[in-house]
Amino acid sequence: MFVLAEKGMKIIERFIPMRHTDIRELLNFKKTPLNLLVAFTTLVFLVLFVVGATNYLIHGHHAYGVTREHPWGLMIAMYIFFVVSSTGLCIMSAIGHVFEVEVLEPFAKRAIHGALVTLLSGFIVIFLEIGHPLKMMIYNTISPGLTSAIWGMGVLYSLYLIFIVIEFFFLLRHDHKWAKRFGIFGLVVGVAAHSNLGAVFGFLVARPVANGIYYPLYFILSAMVTGCYLIFLMYGFKYKLNFPPEMQKTLVATAKILGLLLAILLFFEIWRMLTAIYGGMEDRAETALHILKSSPFLVGEILLGIVIPFLVILLSNGKAIKTMVFASLGGMVGIFFMRYDLVHDTQLYPMQTLKLREYQLPPTFIEYFPSTTEIFIALGAIGIAITLYYIGDKILYLETDPD
Amino acid sequence: MANYGMALDYKNCINCKACEVACKEENGVQLGADKHRIWVGVKEIEGLWPNLSIASSTFEPSQCQQCENAPCQEVCPTKATHYTKDGVVMVDADKCILCSYCMEACPYDARYVKEDTMTVDKCTFCSDTRLLRGETTTACQATCPTKVRTFGDLDDPNSEISILLAHREHRTLKTHLGTKPKLFYLI
Repeated sequence: MFVLAEKGMKIIERFIPMRHTDIRELLNFKKTPLNLLVAFTTLVFLVLFVVGATNYLIHGHHAYGVTREHPWGLMIAMYIFFVVSSTGLCIMSAIGHVFEVEVLEPFAKRAIHGALVTLLSGFIVIFLEIGHPLKMMIYNTISPGLTSAIWGMGVLYSLYLIFIVIEFFFLLRHDHKWAKRFGIFGLVVGVAAHSNLGAVFGFLVARPVANGIYYPLYFILSAMVTGCYLIFLMYGFKYKLNFPPEMQKTLVATAKILGLLLAILLFFEIWRMLTAIYGGMEDRAETALHILKSSPFLVGEILLGIVIPFLVILLSNGKAIKTMVFASLGGMVGIFFMRYDLVHDTQLYPMQTLKLREYQLPPTFIEYFPSTTEIFIALGAIGIAITLYYIGDKILYLETDPD
Repeated sequence: MANYGMALDYKNCINCKACEVACKEENGVQLGADKHRIWVGVKEIEGLWPNLSIASSTFEPSQCQQCENAPCQEVCPTKATHYTKDGVVMVDADKCILCSYCMEACPYDARYVKEDTMTVDKCTFCSDTRLLRGETTTACQATCPTKVRTFGDLDDPNSEISILLAHREHRTLKTHLGTKPKLFYLI
């Protein structure tokens, strides 16, 4: 297998510049405490993934905490988490190398690499959620449900994957003309795919708290926020907080854009809540109030996801880029809760409000907590994303072009 | 070609759940509280003991509303959920990929996962069982001791259901969503 992989690499090397790396070199890294901690955590996550995925393959959806009333759970949230990250990184990369905002160009390649890695991780997660993934590929093609947002999303994300692979290919070959062309395609299709993902929830007439224009727009905005956080994390880890002057400029500019995005996001959240609660429409207002009082929303989404990074940027005028790396770590935790909450909150209000069995209380807000298998797969998917990122970082030239 | 619907004289319901049992038996619905195509909703008695309002406790038998504008059909990515020529919303198990989007989209919680095929299942008005055999009633209707249900062709002005709906006031569930349900609750 290794021989085959080596031959494959040699063929790829003919087309794109790569570092000559064998398996030993690939596994070799500087043994600092932080590197060792990340390596160990990633390894544990990968083991958890194997355990979780195996349990799912044996027991199917029984291994998940989903129910008739709450059919979507952590897997859908993680899928969204990853594909949002991918779109965000793609948009941020495009600002630099497609729209030629010079100060943001240095991370173009690394961001697209991150976009690919997170998209693939998202696909792995969704394959472990959809009951019949192979049937999906067949019938999505020969019996397309054109009115379905899931169908649209599936097709657009597949196209998006193709475009960003080609874009990345040309970026690595330093072919800016073609990278830019495919960058535009990737950006347009990525934004379309991602807003379509928002529409998966926005189209639900049965769920007033999600129904409407909010999610398709919010998804793009929060994707860009996620992209900025990941750029801080990728470069914070790469330079171990000792940023070279060029990168400092880039990150300060990124922080300033992030500050604006967070302000808009906060504005979005405030109006979302006010419009949901105002008027007291039973299922919408009650659900919104329930969300408003929940700690994942207040601590996760608002505090970690928006307020802390926003304050860091605001108080330092975007210059506290080292602090921003830590704020971005918290920000990504907040982003996770944004995805988890949007899936859970959409399903909070029961569709059946009468009790159906004796000794049952009338249904109230639907409860859900992920099963161990779901948590294992979710953590495992993060492990996969880190591993893929690490491999790419080792074998590809992800920095600005030599010229 | 018919346009099947059902009228429910729900105030006659005594919550004996014979309809649930008959449905499970006829359509091979698996055992288990969450596995049901039809159900009887119970409204809790209002008031504090001993001043309980017995009249407040009502039963609302229900099932898939066979919507004319079904959200579950609209969201299905593979057209597994489709309308038959008789206007019944059905799931083609061969095409169902178990993405659960229809369960998410249904405003009536009328869908569940069938464990043997691992696909989404729902009420079919017994289209693939009793109606296929040439019978004209659904299992839930045939077994009901208080004749709550009347099933039939809404497009036939002489059908029992059409006459009933012409003479009795009726309502539908979650009408404001625009799903155009074909289950009519007689008032």
